[in-house]
Amino acid sequence: MSALLLGLVLLPFGSAALSLLVGHRAEVAVKGLSVGASGLGLVLAGVVAVPQLGDAAATGQVYASTSAAGPPIELSMYVDQLSAVMLLLAHTVSFLVQVYSLGYLAADPRYPSYTALVALFTGAMTVVVTADDLWLLLVGWELMGACSYFLIAHHWELPEAREGAVKAFLMTRTADLGLLFAIILLGIRFDSYRISTIMAAISDGGFVRDELWLPAMLLGAAVIGKSAQFPLHTWLPDAMPGPTPISALIHAATMVAAGVFLVARTYPLFLSAPAALNLLAGVAALTMLLGALYALLSEDLKRVLAWSTVSQLAYMFGALAVGAYSAGILHLLAHGAFKALLFLAAGSVVHAVGSTSMSSMGGLREKLPDTFITMTVGFGALAGIAPLVGFFTKDAVIGASLDAATAGRLIWPWLAWVLFASTVLTALVTVAYCLRAWLRVFFGQVASSAEPAPTSEPAPPAEPVDEDQQPPVLVTEVHESPWAMRGPLYLLAVPTTVGGLAVAYPHLLLGSEREHHLLHPELAVVMTLLIASAAAVTIWAGRRSTGRATRRPFVPHPPVDRIYEVGLVRPVRRLALLVRAGDRDVIDAYAVGAGASARGLGWVLRLSQNGNVQGYLMVVVVGAAALAVAAGVMA
Amino acid sequence: MSTTAFALNGLVAVPVAFALLAALLRRSERAAVTVAFVGSLAALGWSLWVAMLSRSGLEANRVDQDWIAAIDVSWSLGVDGISAPLLVMTALIGACCFVSLFRHAPACGGQGNLAALLLLIEAGCLGCFLALDMVLFFVFFEVALIPMWFVINSWGDEHDEPGRRRAATRFLVFTVLGSALMLVGFMLVRSIAGTFDITEVARQADGAAYDLGSPTAVLASVLVGLGLAVKTPLWPLHIWLPDAHSKAPTVGSVLLAAVLLKLGAYGFVRFWLPVTDPTWELLVPLVAALAVVAIVYAALACLVQTDLKRLIAYSSVGHMGFVVLAVATFTEAGVQAAVYASVAHGVITGLLFFLAGAIKDRHGTADLDRLRVLYGKVPRLAGVFAFAAMASMGLPGLAGFWGEMLAIRSAVDQSPALPESTFAVLAVLAAVGVILTSAYFLVLLRAMAQGVPGDRLGADAADIADVDALEWLAWAPLLALTVLLGVMPGLLLSPVAEASRAFFGGA
Repeated sequence: MSALLLGLVLLPFGSAALSLLVGHRAEVAVKGLSVGASGLGLVLAGVVAVPQLGDAAATGQVYASTSAAGPPIELSMYVDQLSAVMLLLAHTVSFLVQVYSLGYLAADPRYPSYTALVALFTGAMTVVVTADDLWLLLVGWELMGACSYFLIAHHWELPEAREGAVKAFLMTRTADLGLLFAIILLGIRFDSYRISTIMAAISDGGFVRDELWLPAMLLGAAVIGKSAQFPLHTWLPDAMPGPTPISALIHAATMVAAGVFLVARTYPLFLSAPAALNLLAGVAALTMLLGALYALLSEDLKRVLAWSTVSQLAYMFGALAVGAYSAGILHLLAHGAFKALLFLAAGSVVHAVGSTSMSSMGGLREKLPDTFITMTVGFGALAGIAPLVGFFTKDAVIGASLDAATAGRLIWPWLAWVLFASTVLTALVTVAYCLRAWLRVFFGQVASSAEPAPTSEPAPPAEPVDEDQQPPVLVTEVHESPWAMRGPLYLLAVPTTVGGLAVAYPHLLLGSEREHHLLHPELAVVMTLLIASAAAVTIWAGRRSTGRATRRPFVPHPPVDRIYEVGLVRPVRRLALLVRAGDRDVIDAYAVGAGASARGLGWVLRLSQNGNVQGYLMVVVVGAAALAVAAGVMA
Repeated sequence: MSTTAFALNGLVAVPVAFALLAALLRRSERAAVTVAFVGSLAALGWSLWVAMLSRSGLEANRVDQDWIAAIDVSWSLGVDGISAPLLVMTALIGACCFVSLFRHAPACGGQGNLAALLLLIEAGCLGCFLALDMVLFFVFFEVALIPMWFVINSWGDEHDEPGRRRAATRFLVFTVLGSALMLVGFMLVRSIAGTFDITEVARQADGAAYDLGSPTAVLASVLVGLGLAVKTPLWPLHIWLPDAHSKAPTVGSVLLAAVLLKLGAYGFVRFWLPVTDPTWELLVPLVAALAVVAIVYAALACLVQTDLKRLIAYSSVGHMGFVVLAVATFTEAGVQAAVYASVAHGVITGLLFFLAGAIKDRHGTADLDRLRVLYGKVPRLAGVFAFAAMASMGLPGLAGFWGEMLAIRSAVDQSPALPESTFAVLAVLAAVGVILTSAYFLVLLRAMAQGVPGDRLGADAADIADVDALEWLAWAPLLALTVLLGVMPGLLLSPVAEASRAFFGGA
């Protein structure tokens, strides 16, 4: 078991290294290697994870340890129910992404490095979800950030890709400092870096409420950055110039999911520090509505999905903030399935039309039948239509926030009410943007591709790979994607459709020790009615606006990017210029001054200017003389 | 001669002997370089042997012989877990330099002399890491510094002769003045302790026989610290460094950054800590503060550099700031962090300077305004550079992370004698420096490696060769170590931990 676990962690790294070594020498071999290794990884993950589901006791193993000052830093793994479900999710999505990429990036010249990075990404996520040592977790955590940087910048010819990659890396890395200091503080407080030990100590009690508020808040900050929550949410939509399968990987199973995972993993810490829970709840309430509104306003299919991820992640944090552990985790799993499906389906659409802008789509229902069916299922789940998986998990989250508002003790009651109102409103907006995107992509007028797509935001360009091959994309050439791409869509549609069963039997996944209060029938009926009316309003509004020049409502974006620019980036740049000037003028002045006053010494140097030996000898002699003088003084 | 004496004396003698041999082989430059390379390999093997010996602690591994008895200077060498990693790192970097010298002969010739000088520098550095006598340390220090002046002056940037001469002179003026101050400091220490043996001084300081309260002791500590601060370098005494590093030939830059800076760092641990009292109100927090200023200042300077080698030189200033910050916490964890960060910086920045040299050779310039789209032109070289940049910005899982993380941790958990809140603030500022470091490397990669392939600057030279076999050979050990030290920190932490425990008088 422990050897298997170590193998599971090492496998992706090995496969990544091999892919890079082989490189372009044998592309077929690289393809076989990457798909084969990720398939093997999925099998291994199944072997490791499935026995840990349900009521099984967690297993842990320490493989190596340091004996440095301070608590030991260990290579230790720990698999419980949470790790198990995360392992399954990450490896499933990763495997499907690798298969899908065979079709999507078939002609990409950078396929070897791409596939190596995807493997590395998976490996990093595996490390995060199985790490028992906080430093080990940090290694995986930041490695993911680096992988996402390289993958977002896959098309580094595009300025948006360059900018997006830098932004994603810097924003998340800055937030990661929270994790770094949290680890240091926890290490000092508990004299251990082992997560299971620390969490057990916190669960056993003996802590004053909010005694650990600082590490909890710091962890919260790291999570807000990693999972793109307000006010660090802007990197995720800007990461869209990356290849679409990467978006599926980042949004569904790795990067942003790691934030939710970390809260769940350190849940006793958060429960002991309501200050951090209040922070999470407030951030979640704001972010979910904000994300949904921006999804509604976006003209770009991938950005719609990106904003929806921001919004759905906020649901998970909302659930965790009010103590509904299993609702949050199950929504994470459900979201993993349907968001991977949606992104891969969007990739299929983009592959067909050569653009991510929704204005160049339309009427694709008949041309892309498989994509249409699967993406419909995905949108349905995102909107929370019964009986798809999103319906159940979202209902569980909304129910939990209602419970917290009426009878909760963890967070301030007024905040719980705000959270509840936000979850309901967001659900309605979600229906609206799903329906809007679905109608615009698959129904209505077939877009004439001649005119450039009018987009409000700098739309991420299509994959240049496609543009190279088929210069002006004509609608008549729109074709369904290869099976390597369609297969994963159907496979992901299965859990999206029947995943609701997990909500009915949560103890099979997460064990029966925890309290699961997931089904809220009355609320479900009310929500379904509300959703139906929201859909009706959306369709009515859509009808009204057709035929006219679309006058898009203007919602001011919270100017966080602007604040960062004015408040951080510019001062830093100005300071940097000041530093350069300082080095040139002020400090150089004393160097020159010292040089002038050292003219006496200069003659020694001038003697040796031509590199001859006398000069060298002179310096040695002067040194020896100095030594002798000093000795004389002392004697 | 006992085994220990043979091992320790030999580690200095081997490179010196091969340096002489290389210098005598005037006829054939190629043969001289080969001899020097063989010498560096021998030194590497020897250093590994010495490192194995070092496990049994400092007392079991020292040689003491009278040297200049008149002024009580003795030939005292010793090795423990603190110096052993630096010895191996020095020898390894030396060997890599000679491989690189095979591939790229300097344009102005004199390859053999260059090789001999480099080996002499290596010997001086090895001696510094071994020396336990303060004057002996000073002597080896000079042995390492002066040949470097020749290296920069004669083999430096061939496009800018006055520039390289100025850089060489400034380097020598600064560092010789620094070491002179250090020597005076050592004299003052002796006037109190009556010996130049630093271990004896440390013992006296522990037992309060060395009066740390006297003004002389404070002055001695300040002078020693000042001399080392020039070499490390500590802000604002770093001004010699960017010039020297950017004008030196590639091998010179590598040695300067990877090895010579460590003399200062190691000196801080071995010779400054014992003569300094953390309970002095101002000095130690001031040193720590200057270290943090260096971190942030260097990162800011890097953001606006226009020359690749200068940028890497400034980044060294920042990384050495972490080392000094760790030392200034007066804890075991701090010493470990300092050693780890020193070794990691040596490996990573050595690699970065090799890469910068390779880029400069291929493009004839290190001007960042003229380097574009390296991902497109030399994908492997650019890929390795991106990897080294990630390592240098302290990505967890690579070597650079542990040193800096441990430095920050030791600043949060500093010696009880030091002001807690000051160090907490310093730790946060150092962490901000990490972010700025990431920022400038990302900006660098965006400007240099990425871009539009067809543009004016990127279009030329489609026939630039990518990394060749000799280059892979020179870089492979550094690449491997970067990963190895990153994933197995215990490899280095555990031996250093024992030594630092002993260093602080523990069992």
